Amino acid sequence: MNDAWIIVTEEKQVAALAAAARGMGGKVIAVVVGPRGLADRTAATAPDEVKWIEAAPEAAIEAYGTAVAALVAAGAPKAVVTSVSAEGRVLAGAVAAKLGAVVIPGGLKLSAVGEKTVVECAHLAGKVIDTIEASAPVVTFFAGDDVAVGDCAPAPITQIPAGAAADIRIERTEPAAGAGAGITKAAVVVSVGRGLKKKDDLGIIQELAKALGAEIGCSMPVADDLGWVEKERYVGRSGQHIAPRLYLAIGIQGAPQHMEGVRDAKVVVAINNDPEAPIFKSADYGIVGDLYEVVPALQAALGK
Amino acid sequence: MKTVIVYKWARKLEDAAVRNDGSVDWRNAKMTAGEDDFAALEAAKAVAGDGELIGLTIGDGETSWALARGVLQATSVADAPNLIDNSATAAVIAAAVRQIGGVDVVVIGDSEEYSGVPVALAGLLGWAAVAHVSSASTSGRRIQVERKQGKDVQTISIATPAVIAVSAASAEKAAPGMKEQLAARKRPITKLTLTDIGATLKDKAISQGTRLPETTTARVFDGDPAVAAGQLVAALRDEGVL
Repeated sequence: MNDAWIIVTEEKQVAALAAAARGMGGKVIAVVVGPRGLADRTAATAPDEVKWIEAAPEAAIEAYGTAVAALVAAGAPKAVVTSVSAEGRVLAGAVAAKLGAVVIPGGLKLSAVGEKTVVECAHLAGKVIDTIEASAPVVTFFAGDDVAVGDCAPAPITQIPAGAAADIRIERTEPAAGAGAGITKAAVVVSVGRGLKKKDDLGIIQELAKALGAEIGCSMPVADDLGWVEKERYVGRSGQHIAPRLYLAIGIQGAPQHMEGVRDAKVVVAINNDPEAPIFKSADYGIVGDLYEVVPALQAALGK
Repeated sequence: MKTVIVYKWARKLEDAAVRNDGSVDWRNAKMTAGEDDFAALEAAKAVAGDGELIGLTIGDGETSWALARGVLQATSVADAPNLIDNSATAAVIAAAVRQIGGVDVVVIGDSEEYSGVPVALAGLLGWAAVAHVSSASTSGRRIQVERKQGKDVQTISIATPAVIAVSAASAEKAAPGMKEQLAARKRPITKLTLTDIGATLKDKAISQGTRLPETTTARVFDGDPAVAAGQLVAALRDEGVL
C-alpha cells in the first residue's frame, strides 16, 4: 500500500499537494483542518477521500496536532505532504513523530520504488534538486508550483471529531502594519536593494515607478538597516507577500527570504550588475548591468 | 520560565558551493548561527525573563555565539552530525532538551532550509508549537506570540511546555564586541555526546545525489543598456504585462 496523505490548512496549492501525493501510486487521502468551505475546495482537487476536522473559532490550527497525528497514523501512509505554511508544518511535525517518519522539506515529486519512498526536493533555496530515498514514511513540505484543478467529481467528505485540542488560542487578529498599503494590491512593483548606493539615488527608482504606474518596494536591508524606504514596503518572508503582474527587482541579489515574498508574482524581472546573482535563477527576465545606466535606459524605452 | 534557546544547529547555505554538474561542495563547512538565530535569541530572552535561559547547540563550529549575547550557560552536543532527515536532527535536540530537564519552553530559529526541524522537535517532545513567530513574551505561565499571517498579524497564547519557532524580521544590528567575546569564553559550557543523551541515529534517508534544476533561468539581456532595455520592454509587451 503506497497511500499518501495530504494535510490541508489553507487554500494555496491544494491541487498541487494532491497531485504530488498521487505520484506515490496509491490512494490519496486529505485531512483538512479548518472551515467546511476549505474541505469542499479540497474535495474538488480529486483526492480519493477528505477527512475534515472543524477547528473551533478561538483555537489555532496547530491545536489539532494530536488529532491529526492519530488520524494519519491509523492510515499508515508511506508519504505525507503539506504546504510550507506554519500551521501545516506544525501538524506535520506531530504526524512525523507518530509515524516515525523522515522529515524532508522542499518536496517537489514523490514516488514509490519497492518498499522505499523517493522524494525529489529543492535544496539550497532551489539551487539544486536532491533525490532522497527513504526506508521509512516521508513527511515533506511541498515547494513546487501550483497546478490547475481539473473537472472531476468531488471526493466524499467525512467529518472527524476534533477531540481535545491543545491549549493554543488565537487571542486576536489585526491587519499588519502597511497591509492596506498600495504595494499589497499593486499590479506592478518596482523594488530596490542594496545595489543602490545612497538614499538620494532613490529618485531614479521613483521616476521609473512613476513611468510604470508602479508601487515602490524594497529588500529587507534597505528598510531595516538603511531605513531608506518605509518598513511596510519591505518584501520578503517576514515582510510583504505580494502577487503583482510584474515585479522589477533592481539591485537585489535574491536571497531566499526575499524571493519568498514574490513567489506569487506573475513575471519577475531582475536588474543586477552581478551575472551570478541568485535572482537570475528565479527571475523570468533580466538585464546584467549597472542600475544607474539601465534604469534611465528602461525609462526611456518605456516612453517609446 | 526555564527556557532553552537552540542555536547554531545547521550549516549555512552560503557555505555550499554548487558545481556545474549539480553536486554540492560544502568545503568543510561547520555549523553556524543561522539568519533566524538572533531573532530566536531575542524572543528566548523575553520568554525567560528572570528565569533560567540555557543555550543549546549541536554539531561542530564555534559554541560561544549565544554566550557572547547574554546567555550565561550552554550545553553542546558536539558530535551530532549534519543530517538529511530533519526529524533525526530534531531527535538529537529533543534528547538534549530532556537531558537538561525541567524545560518549559524551547525557542529555535524557523529556518527555511531546515523547516522540518522545529516542528519535528515539537512532535518528538509531544509539546505544543507555533512557527513563523516574530516576537514572544510571557503572560503568567503562558507564552504570547505574534506572527504574520498573510496580511494579518495574529496574537496567539500558548500553554507550556511549548516549542516556539521564530522567523527573523530583521538582521542583528550590532555584533558583540571584544568585551562580550571575552566574557563568553569564561561562561560554562556543558559538553555532551550523543551517547550521553541517549540519541541513536538510524540512517533512514539517503541522498542519491543532487542535480541542477531543469527550470529555465532568466532570459537575460546584456550589452549596451539602451539596447538591453529596449529588448526587455519589447519582451514584456509581448508577454502582456506592460
